[in-house]
Amino acid sequence: MRKTFFLSFLTLLLSLGTFAQKVSFEEYNLSNGLHVILHQDNTAPVVTTSVMYHVGSKNEVVGRTGFAHFFEHLLFEGTKNIKRGDWFKIVSANGGTNNANTTQDRTYYYEVFPSNNLKLGLWMESERMMHPIINQIGVDTQNEVVKEEKRLRVDNSPYGQWTSQVFKNLFKKHPYHWVTIGSMADLDAATLEEFRAFNKKFYLPNNAVLVVSGDFELASTKKLVKAYFEPIPAGPKVVQSNIKEEPITKEIKTTYYDSNIQIPAVFTVYRTPAMTTRDARILDMISDILSGGKSSRLYKKLVDKDKKALQIAAFNYSLEDYGAYIVLALPLGKTSLDELVNDMNKEIVKLQSNLISERELQKLRNKFENKFVNSNASVEGIANSLARFHLLYGDANLINTEINIYNSVTREEIRDVAKKYLNPNQRLVLDYLPKKDKE
Amino acid sequence: MKTKILSIITLFLMTLSMSAQIDRTIQPKPGPAPKINIGKPETFELKNGLKVLVVENHILPRVSATLTINNNLIFEGDKAGVSGLTGSLLGTGTNKINKDSFDEEVDYLGANINFSSQSASMRSLSKYFPRVLELMADAALHPVFTQEEFDKESTKLIESLKIGEKSVSNIANRVENALAYGKNHPYGEFTSPKSVKNVNLNDVKNFYSTYFKPNNAYLVIVGDVNLKEVKKLVKKGFAKWQKGTLPTYTIPDVNNVAKTEIDFVDMPHAVQSNVAMVNSTNLKMSSPDYFAVKLANYILGGGGEARLFLNLREDKGYTYGAYSSISSDEKTSALFSASAQVRNMVTDSSAVEFVKEIKKIRDTKVTDEELKNAKAAYVGSFVRNVEKPATIARYALNIRRNNLPENFYETYLQNINAVTVADIQRVAQKYLSADHARIIVVGKALDVLPNLEKLPYKINYFDKEANKTSKPDLSKPIPAGVTKQTVLNNYFNAIGGVDKIKSIKSTLVTYEASAMGNTIQSTEKRTADKYANETSMGGNVMAKVIMTKDGVTMNKQPLPAAMAKDMISGLGTFLEMGLLQNENSKLTGIEPIDGKDTYVITTKGDVVSTSIYFDVKTSLKVRESQTVSMGGRTQNQAANFSDYKEFNGIMFAGVKTAKVGPQTVTFKLLNAKVNEGVTDVDFQ
Repeated sequence: MRKTFFLSFLTLLLSLGTFAQKVSFEEYNLSNGLHVILHQDNTAPVVTTSVMYHVGSKNEVVGRTGFAHFFEHLLFEGTKNIKRGDWFKIVSANGGTNNANTTQDRTYYYEVFPSNNLKLGLWMESERMMHPIINQIGVDTQNEVVKEEKRLRVDNSPYGQWTSQVFKNLFKKHPYHWVTIGSMADLDAATLEEFRAFNKKFYLPNNAVLVVSGDFELASTKKLVKAYFEPIPAGPKVVQSNIKEEPITKEIKTTYYDSNIQIPAVFTVYRTPAMTTRDARILDMISDILSGGKSSRLYKKLVDKDKKALQIAAFNYSLEDYGAYIVLALPLGKTSLDELVNDMNKEIVKLQSNLISERELQKLRNKFENKFVNSNASVEGIANSLARFHLLYGDANLINTEINIYNSVTREEIRDVAKKYLNPNQRLVLDYLPKKDKE
Repeated sequence: MKTKILSIITLFLMTLSMSAQIDRTIQPKPGPAPKINIGKPETFELKNGLKVLVVENHILPRVSATLTINNNLIFEGDKAGVSGLTGSLLGTGTNKINKDSFDEEVDYLGANINFSSQSASMRSLSKYFPRVLELMADAALHPVFTQEEFDKESTKLIESLKIGEKSVSNIANRVENALAYGKNHPYGEFTSPKSVKNVNLNDVKNFYSTYFKPNNAYLVIVGDVNLKEVKKLVKKGFAKWQKGTLPTYTIPDVNNVAKTEIDFVDMPHAVQSNVAMVNSTNLKMSSPDYFAVKLANYILGGGGEARLFLNLREDKGYTYGAYSSISSDEKTSALFSASAQVRNMVTDSSAVEFVKEIKKIRDTKVTDEELKNAKAAYVGSFVRNVEKPATIARYALNIRRNNLPENFYETYLQNINAVTVADIQRVAQKYLSADHARIIVVGKALDVLPNLEKLPYKINYFDKEANKTSKPDLSKPIPAGVTKQTVLNNYFNAIGGVDKIKSIKSTLVTYEASAMGNTIQSTEKRTADKYANETSMGGNVMAKVIMTKDGVTMNKQPLPAAMAKDMISGLGTFLEMGLLQNENSKLTGIEPIDGKDTYVITTKGDVVSTSIYFDVKTSLKVRESQTVSMGGRTQNQAANFSDYKEFNGIMFAGVKTAKVGPQTVTFKLLNAKVNEGVTDVDFQ
């Protein structure tokens, strides 16, 4: 009784509309094509300067994979005015922190400083864009470091090969078929000239977005941005390739053996549309229905009730050109992988044949509202979101409006999207098994 | 009004200064240090002892609440895992709400609630906070533990322990704690499938009713709330929670080893070793040394500009990252650890570098610049974080949990800035150990042990559960079907083809090296049953060895018969021809050389024993080694072969490297002839 009352009270609250929480920002282009986004928030004396380049492993070619990630390392080696080895020192000696990361689609570099070092952050990012030093000693050192990174994260790590196995099998023509870290043999074979050419081609102001987020003064910052970044010459427009895959019409089965594990895992993976599409977002919501929280359908059934799985997860590995929709499970006890695949599919079939309840839809909206509030919790996070939404989605304001898309999704759409993409004949099944020791 | 004018003036000034050209060759100087405010939480205490800290922050419509019970350490012994199970059984139902309804409601509200054996936490939108806090309090304080849920969680725990069982970093972490603290210490013990099987439902109930008490509990609430409302909600949820008496427990003493040693754990599939140099020490946050120790650690291994990183990653490329850390602990010893995951081949070199860096920071003063930069990093990190609501709460909690002075964080920057280079050296000597440390290596024995054994440290062997064990067997089993004959035939095929090699009548090879300012030439001539070798230096013949079935002479003097008998087994147009025929020559195993597996063919003699190594992949000979034992003395010699080149259709090693005394001498192949240049005169 008490509960019913509580729930109706909630519904009342919700109908009043979700809290409007706007991230304000200003955006413009410099004459060299560099897109600039400024988000001012003076509540704490901290400022983030970041640059996202529209280059990732998908801009590489067969035989020379791993370049974009390699540049994530290489572009810390020094510039015309920053000596090799000084980068990290300058950042921390000025109270900052910095890092970079690479995906299939883009590379992101950033610094976070106390706000009195805004100028330093802009100088460093402009140096990196204008005239990085790319020489043999840097290439040789980072080559070893990247190999260690791969050993650490992939070769020596439990389940470390699943991404490479999934993408290798899900894509045939599209460069998504290799992983971001790339091939060590390719990196060994690459010449200094090839690295320099890659830099010239992609790390251009007209292929990047600069974000300043946090505690700064607007007018003076614009002047600084102009002074540091406008002299950087633009390059030829980067054309993003548009490679289409044939649809998958017959289930692909594959097996991988990993010597770092004892418990097998099974991955069922479906090729899905680009992250910018409405369907990709609907798939995000389907993930929550299947595996978001302890009341989610797959968790409740396979982990909690039937005790067939140790872990389950469903998520949309969303990328700029395509996505990989992944449903995975680790078996508990004697459950076979085939049985898990069957049970996972049963839950998908339910989604395809019956509408979710109104209450489930409301639950989804509550969850996405919560995610939305938390995603804009730090100036660093906001900088990253603004850059991503501008560069990959073409609309920085999605930081404020994407929630509306999620909120507008209907139960029918959820059913239809499940029907459209999540069928057995469209999937890859990867049995990921422990490799027996040789003894 | 006044502030408005001021800001307009400031703006005007800034605009002026900004119109000036920038000089990008000069690193920009920081502006005036920003002003920081160290917020204080509101606090209140319930009668049962629960202390509540509230940080109001209304920027985002969300709230987090964390309940932490700060009891003494707990030793779980043969029931290790009981605390973990208690944590996973919290949230599986109460008298008021069953598990399914609880899960459903938490998810419906878009919230999270998590538990461990002595904590509970939640996050939600502020509009749902009252209900989510109520759910958390109910689940934490009125749990119903059932056999069904217990069995489920116990099975899952046992299975999930398997997930990390082959992970090098996971094992390294476990063994480091077990060895540094001892397995009789709460920080040294760990959960195993065996110990989980010793736990039953009653143990969980007992654990909960013994330790889940408000005596030492803190509830920290951060976010979009107001104090008055919070007081009401907290009282409603937590006022009835009963105090109790907690058992006393004396934490065992923690000691370092008498002399630095290597502790080795074999992980046969590893492609990287985890190398960690570890010592226990006594560091409290309240210690006057605290700031100097933190800075010393920062300079040594605190990040991407610290010495370990610059040395092992940026200079040598051994690793993706090398770091050090030092904990502080109010209740027991703290741990200093410097560690990295490095590729197998450089495991021993990495250990050497760790020792070197720790000695260096103990033996010599850091530079003023290093200290200045370390201080700046600490100051910066403090400034970047201090105004975050979660930081305000954490700092306030730290002060209470660690018995710190109330103004600990107000004086923080002042204390950081007061540290001198002399302080750094003093605390490095006091808290970082070079002579009483454990160098804990988890990696593939076959690849890394032979080189680790060359280091001047005793090696102790442990299994994955930190039990003492014996040295792992380093030989790999020979695959079925591989015999001495197949190895040698593959070698002959690799250098030119079995039939071709067997039809050859004689060979002549000349190698040249420069050493000690001279040119050394070595010419070797072979027929099926004769052998001659002439070594000259700067054109003068130094040694001439002649070998036939009848004996061996060196510079015309016969060698002892026992020695000659062993040596003539190497007669043949190629040394390997002799191996093929000699029954004493045996395929003895697979051993790695420079990270590559090789087949080893060993010929044991009374005086001279030889081992020849053939690369498993290429089939080529990569090393010859020889041991001569005579009159109680043993001498070892070895040569490595590489860069095979073709001469008259046959491949010969283009480069031969040998150790001559302390020097490595590289011989280059000048010439090789087949069926020419060799006459009987050469063997007289």
